[in-house]
Amino acid sequence: MTIMEPRKHGSSADGAVGGRLSRFEGRLKITGEAVYALEYPAENLAHAVLIQSTIAAGRVTAVAVDEALAAPGVLMVLTPDEDLGLMVSADWQGNRPEEKPYHPLPREVQFNGQSIVAVIAESREQAEEAARLVRITYEEQQGVASLDDPKAGEGKLLEQLSVAWGDAQAALARSPVRIEGTYRTPREYHCAMEPHGLTAAWQGDQLTIWEPSQWSHGMARMYAEWFSLPVENVRIISPFIGGGFGSKGQPLAFGAVAVAAACRLGRPVRLAVTRPQNFTSYGGRAATRQTIALGATEDGILQAIVHRGASETSVYADVPEQTGAATPILYKVENFSSESRVVPVNTVSPGALRGPGKNPSAFGIECAMEELAYALGMDPLELRLKNYADRDYQSGKPWSTRMLREALTQGAEAFGWARRSAAPRSMRRGGKLIGWGIGCGTFPVIRAPSEAMIRILANGRVQVVSGSIDMGQGTYTILAQTASEALGVPVEQVDVVLGDSRLPGAAIAGGSMLAGSITGAVHKAALAARDELIGLALGEAGSPFRNTGANTLAISEGRISAREDGPSLPLSQLMAAIGREEIEVRRNTLSDDAQSVEDQNKAWTTMSRVQGPTMGDYSMHSWCAHFAEVEVDEDFGTVRVSRMVSAFDCGRLYNPKLVESQWRGGIIMGIGQALLEEGVVDPRNGRTMNANLGDYLVPTNADIPDLQVISVGVPDLNASALGGKGVGEVGIVGVAPAIANAVFHATGKRVRDLPITLEKLI
Amino acid sequence: MLDFSYTRARSADEARASVAAQQGTALLAGGTTLLDLAKCGVERPDSVIDISHLDGLSGIAVDGSGASIGALAKMSAVADHADIRDAFPAIALSLSLAASQQLRNMATIGGNLLQRTRCPYFRDPATFPDCNKRNPGSGCAAIGGVTRNHAVLGTSSHCIATYHGDLAVALAAFDAVVQTDRRDIAIDAFFLTPDDRPDRETVLEKAEMITGITIPASIAARQSTYLKVRDRQSYEFAAASAAIGLDLEDDGVTIRDLRVALGGIATKPWRARSIEAGLIGRAITPEIVTSASRLAVEGAVSQGGNHYKIELAPRVVARAILTVAASLNPDLNPALGETA
Amino acid sequence: MTRTIRLSLDINERRYELDVEPRVTLLDALRDHAGLTGTKKGCDQGQCGACTCHIDGQRVLSCLTLAAQAEGRRITTIEGIATANGDLHPVQLAFMEHDAFQCGYCTPGQIMSAVACIREGRTGSDDEIREYMSGNLCRCGAYNSIVAAVREAAEMADA
Repeated sequence: MTIMEPRKHGSSADGAVGGRLSRFEGRLKITGEAVYALEYPAENLAHAVLIQSTIAAGRVTAVAVDEALAAPGVLMVLTPDEDLGLMVSADWQGNRPEEKPYHPLPREVQFNGQSIVAVIAESREQAEEAARLVRITYEEQQGVASLDDPKAGEGKLLEQLSVAWGDAQAALARSPVRIEGTYRTPREYHCAMEPHGLTAAWQGDQLTIWEPSQWSHGMARMYAEWFSLPVENVRIISPFIGGGFGSKGQPLAFGAVAVAAACRLGRPVRLAVTRPQNFTSYGGRAATRQTIALGATEDGILQAIVHRGASETSVYADVPEQTGAATPILYKVENFSSESRVVPVNTVSPGALRGPGKNPSAFGIECAMEELAYALGMDPLELRLKNYADRDYQSGKPWSTRMLREALTQGAEAFGWARRSAAPRSMRRGGKLIGWGIGCGTFPVIRAPSEAMIRILANGRVQVVSGSIDMGQGTYTILAQTASEALGVPVEQVDVVLGDSRLPGAAIAGGSMLAGSITGAVHKAALAARDELIGLALGEAGSPFRNTGANTLAISEGRISAREDGPSLPLSQLMAAIGREEIEVRRNTLSDDAQSVEDQNKAWTTMSRVQGPTMGDYSMHSWCAHFAEVEVDEDFGTVRVSRMVSAFDCGRLYNPKLVESQWRGGIIMGIGQALLEEGVVDPRNGRTMNANLGDYLVPTNADIPDLQVISVGVPDLNASALGGKGVGEVGIVGVAPAIANAVFHATGKRVRDLPITLEKLI
Repeated sequence: MLDFSYTRARSADEARASVAAQQGTALLAGGTTLLDLAKCGVERPDSVIDISHLDGLSGIAVDGSGASIGALAKMSAVADHADIRDAFPAIALSLSLAASQQLRNMATIGGNLLQRTRCPYFRDPATFPDCNKRNPGSGCAAIGGVTRNHAVLGTSSHCIATYHGDLAVALAAFDAVVQTDRRDIAIDAFFLTPDDRPDRETVLEKAEMITGITIPASIAARQSTYLKVRDRQSYEFAAASAAIGLDLEDDGVTIRDLRVALGGIATKPWRARSIEAGLIGRAITPEIVTSASRLAVEGAVSQGGNHYKIELAPRVVARAILTVAASLNPDLNPALGETA
Repeated sequence: MTRTIRLSLDINERRYELDVEPRVTLLDALRDHAGLTGTKKGCDQGQCGACTCHIDGQRVLSCLTLAAQAEGRRITTIEGIATANGDLHPVQLAFMEHDAFQCGYCTPGQIMSAVACIREGRTGSDDEIREYMSGNLCRCGAYNSIVAAVREAAEMADA
């Protein structure tokens, strides 16, 4: 176990992989010099604003634009009447329907808050004013507002998500102890602090887009397909992203509108999506409900899990939020059954939001396990350890690494779980009820190929070059560390260039797959660059190491030498001696049979080469256990999280300082999910009624106690080249059930629908 | 925001004259309400008169008779004013628990009183044209909609929008007086319930301008608190709040004076005189306080989503009374401790 | 026709002459007209704190302030708190040391708020820091580190 003590950076070890180097690009962020998408200057810029629908379903019959067109500064109004000439793009796997047009400003309204019209003017203020003058006439139809709308029905079964082994129903019926509960999570939103938007500029048939992106290559491909351009004609620039959390992985309808407007006007167009519009311009996490039945022996051995889940989706795409994603792998169980449905409602298609699937799934199974523990009269920690999964019962494969037992026991130790008073309502402090609860979490190791370039420059500096993304998770920093260690140069001598689709391709910054993927590519490229440099030093005329008889050379602290203690030369002097301006090495982690240009392009721009957690010999996942303490004011029903300890197995940590920040960030989002966050729609017209940061409540600083995080992981070299597993997604998974379980322990009230707001407890 | 002209007023008289002379002229002080609502499309001024720079309207003075606060004093200045904190703790607290420090540094006391409801239907004119506040006679889209934050007291069939401010609740408890260029108005009379004219929120007439407020000193005001219950720990409006002032007889148990006002549950700052009348002269116990506090929601009307407020509000009142009582007479602590 | 007015704004001890419409907020004037993009737009409606800057030394939200209102006042933004020779403000250094940010988008607002919070003397306890930093949302969830950074910078200011 490593309880990470905070430590000042600056020691030489910080720059190596595993060191606590401070955020590499930090200075740019704390000085305001980091430039985000909407901040790039552009000559002759026009501004677009969106008008969104105010009905849930129907048809646009007329758009009156004359008044708007006559308003000061207005350049253009785009409506459903215009055919923008776009074609549907391929899905994330690269499958593309033939010759299907795409209308980003559709005539058919599918949800309230859908973009219908765009107004483009000389200034944003003028465009906003003119937008108020546009009159849209609808032929309104009855819509389905939400998952709870009686008109929504039961939805459709997704056969591909059904999982079963053993005979769960029979085993459940035979079990002497059974519990069953229905658990619900509401619509939730990313709320990245940087709202969406873009600036688009054409130069002939070359398109440049400044847009926050979790995946510059994938987004470039999708824009290219919409506009029928070769992918190399589209450039996405996104070196800084003000938070994504799953929302910035693909271009959205407003992006198509801005690019089309820029094309028609022949000048750059900037489109800033307002904060309220962000709530319906892309999907957050779908609302879910799931029923879980558990059967166990009287001494607490799980006999059966039966799971039936449903999540809302839009009326135009089946996007499941997989409430059965964590259910099969957290515990040892011989009889299992899970089915999942999607229920179409009039909403924007749901998207991926931190810990997709696993997060609501863990809310169900981890609440159910504690309900079972109370039914058995057993310590919830003991129940979890007793049913520890020795292998993956779903795939039948062994775990690569699974330190969940250590997470549970060491987390419990740090939390002081042994001091727990078992009965609900039995712990008090200062007039408040105190409760403790546990929630386990998991997220799969998803592997993807990446490419990276290393440049050694004449001045001895090293450049790491990649199209990958840093939205705050630490890509700049860990790539500097990776290159520094592999090449033997101090981290201060390294520069990192990221966030541009013109640069080498990389995995998406999503699904916790980027760090493991891109460190592998940079490591490979850096070792190759090092070998090339040493080869040149040994062989080139002018090199002082030529004819020294050395077989190889060492590079350390930015100096090259024949022996560790021998005379050494800075890289800049070696570069001068061998007469090189630059050494450039590019490597990727694709297999040898996938090195054609087509294969490479497809690998960087689609998910076609992405491998799931059980595609090899092992089942590979990150794991965690959260221990939460809540204080409940019973008169008011208010819940405050007063303390949390969370123990993680994420394999090797490339930079513990940044990892701890990411874990805490996930935990905080989980606290919001547990207690505050809920997208609310008007049942009559499907309008999102809290589409702003004053009414959709995310945690403030005052809501968050000190969060203790512990690493129990060991390097997992099956999971990634350097031994890390995913970090970003898993932090949130299991937090909400830990808090719900603590609330039950405090109050004796089991709240099965999130968030746990005060009216549910008074 | 729609285009408007901007003028910096040189005097209060000039500002008033501009408002009187021209339809569509709005006074701009802190800006936290006006600019917010202009962005929503609720406020559409043609011309904005900036009064935030005017001298002489931001003073804060406290003496034995009470406090006098200029209309342009900032929320933060009043909240942090040592004499206000001593003589009117509930007022200081109502301010420091509101919004964020940035907003408190901007918003003025006069503007704070005139802040408008956070009703999401009121704030979304593009989707919900029906709003009797914005457009008299058009109807109320909130009724039958999402009503978790709507009022349970003082509502009518024309409007259920909550008055969300905190300061005015504390002012209502302590009989503050709103001063305008024309007259003095008791705080309770200053705010109007919606009835059939939800567009009329206060008795202010056209071009009438708040110049300040006065709050009479009292022992109850000195022995007061403001308790605000909400989902989020900070930076949120109240689900229910209570301003309480209490004075006990020399025996330490008999209630000599009590002031109660509630926030977050009514269409205007809600003075609960029935609780005061029910408790003054009686010996304080948790039971009678809890029982009397239920009078707070006499006549409350639930819209469904806000039903919890009817349960919550009396508990907030009772807790606040018992907390102040325990601070006045530590001997009461054990008896009150269980509920307080 | 849209009217523009000429404003002379004192930003970071420099004078900026800007022609803007009266309705332009200080936030938009900074970002779109003065080229000072360090101040961020997170909500544009007073609900997130990303646009926090100082007017006459007090922290305010520039999204709910008209640029015209700020004329004649002393405006300070994130670009103006390091010393002229580039030495970072102690709060900036503390944010770096404690990793008090991830994506960086709320960070300028957090730092401007923290500088003011320390000046206001609202750092007496971690709870007080939390409350007085609650007007600045951080969705990446750097709150623990922000509190640690503000505490450390406040202690340095006292020393």
